[in-house]
Amino acid sequence: MSDRAAIGVELAEQFTDVAQQRRAATLGMWSWLLTELLLFAALFLIALVLRILHPDSVREAAHHLKFWIGATNTAVLICSSLTMSGAIVTSRLGWQRAMVRCMLATAALGSLFLVFKGYEYYQDYIEHMTPFLAWRPYELSGDRASQLYVSLYYVATALHAFHLTTGVAILLGLAWQARANGYLQRHQNRIEIYGLYWHFIDLMWIMVFTIIYVMNR
Amino acid sequence: MTDVAMRERTPPPATLDRPLDYLHDAHTLRSWLFTIDHKRIGILYLIAITAFFIIGAVAAGLVRLALVVPDGQIFTNDTYNKLFTIHGVVMVWFFLIPSIPATFGNFLLPLMIGAKDLAFPRLNLLSWYVFMTGAVFTLATVVIGGVDTGWTFYAPLSTTFSNTWVVPALIGVIVVGFSSILTGLNFVVTVHTMRAPGMHWFRMPIFVWTMYATSLIFLLATPVITMALILLVMERAFGIGVFDPALGGDPVLFEHLFWFYSHPAVYIMVLPGMGVISEIIPAFAQKKIFGYKFICYATIGLASITFFVWGHHMFVNGQSEYASLAFSFLSFAVAVPSAVKVYNWTATIHKGDIHLDTPMLYAMGYIGLFVLGGLTGLFLATLAIDEHIHDTYFVVAHFHYIMVGGTMLAFLGGLHFWWPKFTGRMYPEVWGRISALLIFLGFNVTFFPQFILGYLGMPRRYHVYPHEFQLLNILSSAGSTILAVGYIFPMIYLLWSLWFGKRAPSDPWNAKGLEWTTSSPPPKHNFIVPPIVDFEPYDYPVKAGESV
Ligand SMILES: [Cu+2]
Repeated sequence: MSDRAAIGVELAEQFTDVAQQRRAATLGMWSWLLTELLLFAALFLIALVLRILHPDSVREAAHHLKFWIGATNTAVLICSSLTMSGAIVTSRLGWQRAMVRCMLATAALGSLFLVFKGYEYYQDYIEHMTPFLAWRPYELSGDRASQLYVSLYYVATALHAFHLTTGVAILLGLAWQARANGYLQRHQNRIEIYGLYWHFIDLMWIMVFTIIYVMNR
Repeated sequence: MTDVAMRERTPPPATLDRPLDYLHDAHTLRSWLFTIDHKRIGILYLIAITAFFIIGAVAAGLVRLALVVPDGQIFTNDTYNKLFTIHGVVMVWFFLIPSIPATFGNFLLPLMIGAKDLAFPRLNLLSWYVFMTGAVFTLATVVIGGVDTGWTFYAPLSTTFSNTWVVPALIGVIVVGFSSILTGLNFVVTVHTMRAPGMHWFRMPIFVWTMYATSLIFLLATPVITMALILLVMERAFGIGVFDPALGGDPVLFEHLFWFYSHPAVYIMVLPGMGVISEIIPAFAQKKIFGYKFICYATIGLASITFFVWGHHMFVNGQSEYASLAFSFLSFAVAVPSAVKVYNWTATIHKGDIHLDTPMLYAMGYIGLFVLGGLTGLFLATLAIDEHIHDTYFVVAHFHYIMVGGTMLAFLGGLHFWWPKFTGRMYPEVWGRISALLIFLGFNVTFFPQFILGYLGMPRRYHVYPHEFQLLNILSSAGSTILAVGYIFPMIYLLWSLWFGKRAPSDPWNAKGLEWTTSSPPPKHNFIVPPIVDFEPYDYPVKAGESV
């Protein structure tokens, strides 16, 4: 690559040097991820409690989940983490244009996930797998506890999809900013920090998929 | 040599025309609402929580008014339920939890570790706006519409039976939770990365340690209740059934998730108070704090044990007695680090050069009330006794001794202690002492009778009670009027002092700590010369024969 840019971080006034600023930003993101982990953990706990309270109903409900769409989505997100890592590596090398391409590829894979997810919700809808809609009664096998488990599936996947949607939006915003020359000279660490967040969304999906779809089959 | 240069440098005396201090840096409303200076954000929080405190206190006054007569004739049952819910929701979520961290923590944390600001100043301003959005929203719903679930939002009352505005109130509380998380995140990162050269972990003031521990609780506990409350909203809006046994759920699950946050929340309220007291006592005893490292470890110890005792709120809800046994034992363990702190404070006072100024009066009051509140906590942690006094006024009295006696007294003590630093003005000392004594007296007259009432069996949250309890209830209500006077005085004279108070020197109390080395009020980036720390914390003069 010929267009190799200088990389660096613009010093904010509250810090004394760039190393301190980088440390603060990294630790800040890790702290945020810790909080997010506990947010999801409460849901995982409830899923496990339901499994212990009503093992048969939960297994019944889990059979209605679209395992293969979930599995495909897992693969899609793992690929997106790969392209995000590509963005980080290229940002460190100062290859700004390659970095932007990697970011756009990541956003595209994230959006692909959302498309698949939307299709899965649509399938759920036409199967009448919507216990929370009063005007559209649940028509699959299973008792009330199965329906509760299905509702929990919606809460967990919607929470994840919300994170991913925000993630794609921020990523596109960053890619837009990174068109300008000299971006890497001022804000290289934003890519590093954002990468942590993206990998975290990926990791949370892997956990949602494992705990909601796989474990109860 | 840097030592001398650092400590002897006297900043110019505070005058209105000195351009550097943060209050006079700019005057427009805009300069306040869009400030990213941690000191101004601290003041914004102070104004906001004072307003919320007034609302919560008025509701408390009305609750006490209702309890003067035993037959519940003053308000209807619904009004009474809504009143104690306003009191609980506002005081817990919008006053006590943000009180010391968001005001003093914001203002003092960077000053105490020698930083220019918090690590993320914009995030800090954002958390104020998030806080205000959630708090004002919930306040509007609990005051205008009314909610009758109590601050605990227990299922199935909150999910199935309440006909009040539960969902909007919950949404506001969820939003406020994010403000706590962002503040905690900012503090954790600041303590880790923004310390001045030479400010090792074991040179940090105890207040910074307690802020750090509190922030960890914000980060680790708040998201769990956020999810619990989100599910409560889902339950009410869509009837999904997580907390409804008829639909396969379990209401006790809500209690677990709720107390997994809300017991640690007690330490969000109490640890910062302990931090404030640990600053006040050495200053007014003019003595190095006794057992500095033990207090640091006790702080982290409390913040850790607090995550494993939530079940002590659930001894009578049918949880396994083996779980109760473990929770009871762990709750007893909390007494150890708490006692370490109390002994260390009293040992610091012992043979000190004691000045009974207003902050010290509050600090001493704090120790007394905290001991009483803590020891009655042991009654409640005992399985057999809890069977008898669970959900009675004994519990109410116990947690008010911890929350008002602990957090509120520390808040007021700290407010007086750092008032000269915040505003550059001294408050009137005589009025300060009178109010401190009134609050101590009024508090005890209000809440001590409630221990007796509870032990005799008066349940909480009822306003109709047997006639024989009337005398003690009247005594309690009378005490609350004394308490109210004690709260109103500082609101008046502190405001008065903003214009007419004596100008404050940098260090009016002869106290140690970086915040006292800069001018009062501090300049925009806190220190004119960035400090280098080569002294130990609380390096008060050591007298002959004193062991530290
Ligand atoms: Cu507790």
